[in-house]
Amino acid sequence: MRSTALLPLMVMMCAPLYGAATATPAEKLGAVIEKDPKYPPVVSYTLKNGLRLLILEKKFVPTVSFTMIFNVGNVDGEPGKTGLAHLMEHMAFKGTKTINSTGFEKEKLALAKVEDAAKAMIAEESKPSPDPAKLDKLRKKLDAEEKEADKYAVKDEYWKIYNELGESGMNAMTSTDYTGYVVSLPSNRLEAWMIIESDRFKNAVLREFYRERSVVMEERRMGESDPNRLMWLTLFTNAFAAHPYHNPTIGWMDDLKRLTRSDAEQFFKTFYAPNNATLSVVGDVKPEEVIKLAEKYFASWTKQPLPQREYTKEPPQKSEKRVSVFFSAKPTLRMGFHNPGYGSPDIYALTMLSEILSGGKTSRFYRNIVEGKQLALYVNAYPSIPGDRYPSLFVVVAAPKAPHTSEEVEDAIMAEIARLRTEPPTQWEMEKVLNNYEAALIGQLESNPGLGMSLANNQQIHGDWKFDWNLTDELRKLKPEDISRVAAEYLTRDNKTVVFLREPEASAAPAASGAKGEKK
Amino acid sequence: MAFSISPTWGLRPNLPKTGGMDFKPPKGSRHVLENGLVVYLLKDNTLPVAHVTAIVKTGKIYDTKEKIGLGEFAVGLLKDGGTVKYKSDDIDKTLEFLGASIEPSIAAEEARVNMFALKKDLDKVLDIYASVLMEPAFEDDKTAIKKAEALEMIRRRNDDPAREAQREAVRHFYGADHPYGWRTELTTVEPLTKDDLKAYHANYFRPNNIILAAAGDFGSEEAFLTKLKEKFGGWAKGDVKLPVIPPVKIDEKRQVYLIDRDISQTSLVMLLKGVKRHDPLEFPLFITNEILGGGSSSRLYTEIRSRMGLAYVVYSYFAKRPDYGFINAYCGTKPETYSQALSEMLRQFELIKTKPVPADEIKRAKDSVINSFVFRFATPFDLISERALYEHYAYAPDYLDTYVENMAKVDQKAVLETAQKMYKPADAQIFVLGNSKKFDKPLSTFGEVIEVKED
Repeated sequence: MRSTALLPLMVMMCAPLYGAATATPAEKLGAVIEKDPKYPPVVSYTLKNGLRLLILEKKFVPTVSFTMIFNVGNVDGEPGKTGLAHLMEHMAFKGTKTINSTGFEKEKLALAKVEDAAKAMIAEESKPSPDPAKLDKLRKKLDAEEKEADKYAVKDEYWKIYNELGESGMNAMTSTDYTGYVVSLPSNRLEAWMIIESDRFKNAVLREFYRERSVVMEERRMGESDPNRLMWLTLFTNAFAAHPYHNPTIGWMDDLKRLTRSDAEQFFKTFYAPNNATLSVVGDVKPEEVIKLAEKYFASWTKQPLPQREYTKEPPQKSEKRVSVFFSAKPTLRMGFHNPGYGSPDIYALTMLSEILSGGKTSRFYRNIVEGKQLALYVNAYPSIPGDRYPSLFVVVAAPKAPHTSEEVEDAIMAEIARLRTEPPTQWEMEKVLNNYEAALIGQLESNPGLGMSLANNQQIHGDWKFDWNLTDELRKLKPEDISRVAAEYLTRDNKTVVFLREPEASAAPAASGAKGEKK
Repeated sequence: MAFSISPTWGLRPNLPKTGGMDFKPPKGSRHVLENGLVVYLLKDNTLPVAHVTAIVKTGKIYDTKEKIGLGEFAVGLLKDGGTVKYKSDDIDKTLEFLGASIEPSIAAEEARVNMFALKKDLDKVLDIYASVLMEPAFEDDKTAIKKAEALEMIRRRNDDPAREAQREAVRHFYGADHPYGWRTELTTVEPLTKDDLKAYHANYFRPNNIILAAAGDFGSEEAFLTKLKEKFGGWAKGDVKLPVIPPVKIDEKRQVYLIDRDISQTSLVMLLKGVKRHDPLEFPLFITNEILGGGSSSRLYTEIRSRMGLAYVVYSYFAKRPDYGFINAYCGTKPETYSQALSEMLRQFELIKTKPVPADEIKRAKDSVINSFVFRFATPFDLISERALYEHYAYAPDYLDTYVENMAKVDQKAVLETAQKMYKPADAQIFVLGNSKKFDKPLSTFGEVIEVKED
């Protein structure tokens, strides 16, 4: 079924030299320019050490957005060391041998002392019955060594440099699959970024580790205090028994307490390699400039052999898992069904299925459960959470509207899914989804940081920056019966984990006051 | 409008010297229709899309006490409740099939109706958009659903403790009876009627009370203006009754509130009286706040997060209002370290008004603000919306042109004087949501505690 939404050519501000007799400056350097007008004219170039560059020149204002994605996430952690990928991401903001340091030769020695003191403290803490007096002494020793080491550190210099440069949106993120580093700058900072970032990834020094570990513990507590995060965590830890998608990206608190700087250094050495990264640069820059500077500053970043990424496959669930989480908040629910992953063509039908079910107010869930039976505040479906690198979960998220219950909403959701067998998606429903994807493909070209993230992430995780376009093409091939089939095959009771948020039994929180004839 | 980004001196020696930038963003054009509708346009043919926003002079603070939530309810129904010309289900089908959108929203002092469409669908979507603005129908069944939704959201308002803490802190700061501190209740939303909705719309949705801003692939600004005149030209202007907001009453003395809740992380909210919207003090205050708690190299962040490891989230900011706004500092930390974090927050507020901030710290804060100014105009729609918003908030026409200059003027003396004038930590309101059984020190250490029951 073809989409009737014919799109005009996307004309970018930088006129691409399609079919020009002479090569562009970037091409002369060995880059490849995308020439198919269906796609933006992205310039691709790979350094000898494996670092992939994706560059797109866009002029509106003189700014440029950088996204560096590493193919490493929490899924790649070792048992007993969950949360390390994320903590390492925090550590990447702590400077290098030159940035954030008054003199690394001396600092190195002080940091080694901190490490010894920390390991001794952790060893005592980890005993079944730690000696309180000894523990107190070890904590004080660690504190003293940290204060000593602090003398060699120039506090937060890395952040300060970026502030002065006029950064916007500087941040990083870790998922179960990947770790990303982003920043936007005025475009005349291109070389400055190259200098700083190449230093950052070649010569990172993981200083102030134990302080930052405490910060991450607070981040974990923030998640524990948020019913939404708690629900996600509970869903993943229950749905996955064998595969490391089971592990929370923030880490188990007990693992966090035992992580050391040595662990992080090992992780950094193993995974933060140029051949494990894609860098996208989107904005008012010349591709040939980006390539020249990348060669100048990143070429000496050494390639590393990368470990195998084969992890225990999650076996067929063959059971229904039902979990209640007790938290003082109004009811919500999450449902997860194992999907086959991006290695299977069924993932596209499942993607289309999620849109048929919850894409907008004309979707099945909205029309029949939010309106219609009026059981829910919202019901939303997602094809692949928490990650894409391995088989993952098709998820439905919902909240009942008083006086209805989560169980009623669950029943209504399963009924809607069953209905797809006898009432497959109509032409109209499928075309609607395709039109939305087409519009989104154009819309995503507006924002430099958004586009930068999409290009780098798709290249590094899906192996192709054109993934979003390819996905749309795959969706276009689908027939209504494909959708019915995957619904019947995957969204079944014996493949289901459902988590309910319930008030703690002892004391229900008071209902909002001033109710006029409201049922409790 | 031109501004220059200051050259960056004083960086680490191995970074290249970068000169200043002389960036002149496109102006777009401003028009006023006969009925008073103000229109800002910026043509941009890069992508075959169009964005429109309507900024309406209304807001949550303009509800009445008995009908808190009326504005939100009405604005939420402009599209979802259908219009005279288009049934709600038809609007949903049309927009969603095209991948277009019309989204209304409301905040304290503005309502917005945003539109996105691909160029090929512009006429069709614009017609619906105009109908949504001018003649909403508030269909009965959709109204009932929206109301049930609003009531459900009220029941859920304490689900997320960090957000609850911020909301309740501001509510106690201004008082539950002042519009700046209002909160929707089941009793204020449940009785709302269709007549209320219609009266609300008739009062505020007048062309002379709206600024429209649009960017995209129109062909030409003249052509699009003609389209807008076709759609909106016949819309009658009218008198708008904007309620008078009583002056705020802020008790400038230490007040400590506690919501006792068994939760993993404690939320600490500090509030102080701020500035009125057009007070030129906002420039030195912005720089001072940037230094104190405005980002990842601010003092609050560097000390409480980086050095002490007590928090993941810690920051300060200030909010402007027509009357006195507020200065807000927030920190999330475990209950066993709450007093360390809170003491440090108070100490930092005290320190910045006692010891002059070193010149390099001031320079860095200024560079940060000035050098990132360009990001306000990242896309054509961002740019034209900025202009429209500043007019809506009654800023001087050259406000954006002189912004960088005004920031550049701020010096060590101005920062010190501003801190001394505005930062009175001894008189701050402190609002705590956490598990008092695990507090390392009793909360009464910080002042007489008033316990607040969650409701």
